[in-house]
Amino acid sequence: MERRKTAGEMSAAELAEVLTRVREGDADAWGELYRQYAAAIFRFCRRALPTKEDAEDATTEIFMKVRQKLGTYDSSRPFTAWLYKVASNHCWDTLRRRRIRQDLETGDLETLPLEHPDPSQLEKLQIDHTSKEVRAALAKMQDRARMALVLRYYADMSYDEIADTLGVRRAFVGVLLLRARHQLRDVLAEGMPGARGAAAGSAS
Amino acid sequence: MNHFDEMTALLYLEGQLEPERAREVSAHARECGQCRELLGALEREGVWLRQALEAEDESVPARLVEAPERGTPWGWIAALGLSAGGAYTVWTGIVDPWRAQAAQSGFTQSNLLTMLFFSGTFWKGWDAMRSLTEFLAMSTLTIVVSWLLRRHWRRLTTAGMVVGAALLFTLALAAPPAGAAEVKHGDPNFELASGQTVPTDLFVFAQRTTIDGDVDGDLIVWSQVVTVNGHVKGDVICGAQSLRINGTVDGNVRSFAQSVDITGTVGKNFMSWSGETNLESKASIGRSVTLGSNDATLAGKVGGDVLAMADTFDASGAVGRNLTIRSDHLTIHSTADIKGPVKYTGKNKPEISQGAKMGPFQQVIPKTRPRYERMRFYWHRVLLWGVGFVFGLVLLLLMPGFYADATGACRKYAPAAGFGLLFLFATPIAAIIACATIVGLGVGITTLLLYIIGVYASTVFVAGFVGEALLGPSTGTGAAIGRLALGLLITHVLRILPYVGGWILFIMMFWGFGAMIMAIYKRLRPQLAASAAA
Repeated sequence: MERRKTAGEMSAAELAEVLTRVREGDADAWGELYRQYAAAIFRFCRRALPTKEDAEDATTEIFMKVRQKLGTYDSSRPFTAWLYKVASNHCWDTLRRRRIRQDLETGDLETLPLEHPDPSQLEKLQIDHTSKEVRAALAKMQDRARMALVLRYYADMSYDEIADTLGVRRAFVGVLLLRARHQLRDVLAEGMPGARGAAAGSAS
Repeated sequence: MNHFDEMTALLYLEGQLEPERAREVSAHARECGQCRELLGALEREGVWLRQALEAEDESVPARLVEAPERGTPWGWIAALGLSAGGAYTVWTGIVDPWRAQAAQSGFTQSNLLTMLFFSGTFWKGWDAMRSLTEFLAMSTLTIVVSWLLRRHWRRLTTAGMVVGAALLFTLALAAPPAGAAEVKHGDPNFELASGQTVPTDLFVFAQRTTIDGDVDGDLIVWSQVVTVNGHVKGDVICGAQSLRINGTVDGNVRSFAQSVDITGTVGKNFMSWSGETNLESKASIGRSVTLGSNDATLAGKVGGDVLAMADTFDASGAVGRNLTIRSDHLTIHSTADIKGPVKYTGKNKPEISQGAKMGPFQQVIPKTRPRYERMRFYWHRVLLWGVGFVFGLVLLLLMPGFYADATGACRKYAPAAGFGLLFLFATPIAAIIACATIVGLGVGITTLLLYIIGVYASTVFVAGFVGEALLGPSTGTGAAIGRLALGLLITHVLRILPYVGGWILFIMMFWGFGAMIMAIYKRLRPQLAASAAA
């Protein structure tokens, strides 16, 4: 599975060599590894967490964890998959710690029936909104919904990986993604005067 | 087959359906335009979502460019050593002598801060925290613990409430019971008529306050003019333009006033910070007198020591023990009767009349050697640099984003200076006003403490900015620490320059304070916007 691209291109052999040197305590190699992946991880955190400050703090903390846990990385698997797993676990832990109250307030939303989408309104929503607006809308979404979208459509994680990260059953991941898409449409539609629920047609 | 729902469509597009179900969906979509349209819309939405998420419109912050470092923290070790030395010097050079002197003057039970704020009715439970050091240490510990727990506070809310309630309960049991108090707001004046008695403590906020009756507890008063003709059985704590005590106070008198006149009796100690202090011939103070006053006259009788700092000091009364004076002009009249030794620190020759009775007299002429010639001066500067560096390191490592924002905001000279000037003066005024209202006392004190920390932090932010201005923006924690150290060094050197040094410090204070306010505003803004939206 292809993950998000990193800053520079490092071949598999180069990466393996750098990882070996990092494990041996080589500070230069650690700097090299960090420079290679820090920007990508920051961008991932920026999408997964609601504020820039959170993303900055999380990036630093994730790399601290990576350095501690590098011994547990299985080199037969892609490094970026492992790195994104560490990052997503960290972000989800961060969000979960803050989530208790939010869940109490919004728990009912999870059980509300979804409205059937109107394909033409869906198209209009896509035309009317820039990437920046979509990302701003993400910050307003519930943590789990945002996290699900980012893990699936930014980090290219499989349903199994998402289920593992978010601590839900695999069968529930699809529901989570569908509800997240609905929530995103609603948040975007709220920004357009008189367009609340624009993407929804009749109740399914 | 019936139309399929959105969930099925999404799972089909994501390749998550069982092969047989997927074939059914595929076959149905070929025949049904409506379902085909839904599949197409969802597929395009997926692509659109990926593109939106992948679009890179924000650069990576400078502080993330370099890997987080974890070497031997030599900077920390050196700076902690320096600050430990600084703390020791401050203790042995300032705090301990001051304590000894204060103890000599009858302040063995409490210090200025506790006297001022915590000896009142509402704060009797705080008497356990008599030492200022303990109080500061407790505040620091609270701040550090709050910081460490900040990420867990929601989880700890319930546990915290239980522990907090238990602590409060314990305190309530352990603390001496706080007496009830009467609170009076003058309209605009307040008068306790002769023959009237207040059985508890009395708080008064009025334009003119006159106490002709009796107060069984303490009298705490904020007023323009305060006159006590009656009898106060507790202490008098007073902030006033003019204070006059003609009656009797059984406890202590602590006053902050423009002018103070005593013709009555004070059973215990008298302390005054004022423009003019007169202990007239009928005045009688049971124990010690401590004065910080422009002009002071002592014509009455003092049972204990007198410790005074005054521009002119005129003694013609009786002092039961030592007289210690730091003054420019000391006059001792022939009627004076001072049982203990007299120690006078001042440049001018004192005028001592023939016939004045007193113990051994000693004059200490303050050294006029320029401070620049003393090694101790430079050692102090190095220590101060160390303290500033440790403080900066704490800010930089605990709140890197905030540190970067505040030093960055220093670049916006005009708004930073404008906000700084405004808040530098407005904050203490607001805090003092808050202190003057009973409900706001805690808030006022907290604000003042935070203000002091904030003013100190301001100089550190400016130092950090100076370092960055000279070496260019920092690209990692190590570089930022180096820039902070250099900036502090330069600003400390500038601050010791004669004549301009004080002004440089003042400019650093309001400039940095404004930058800090801007950084705080920047941090709060998204939350404010979010809460406004909600």
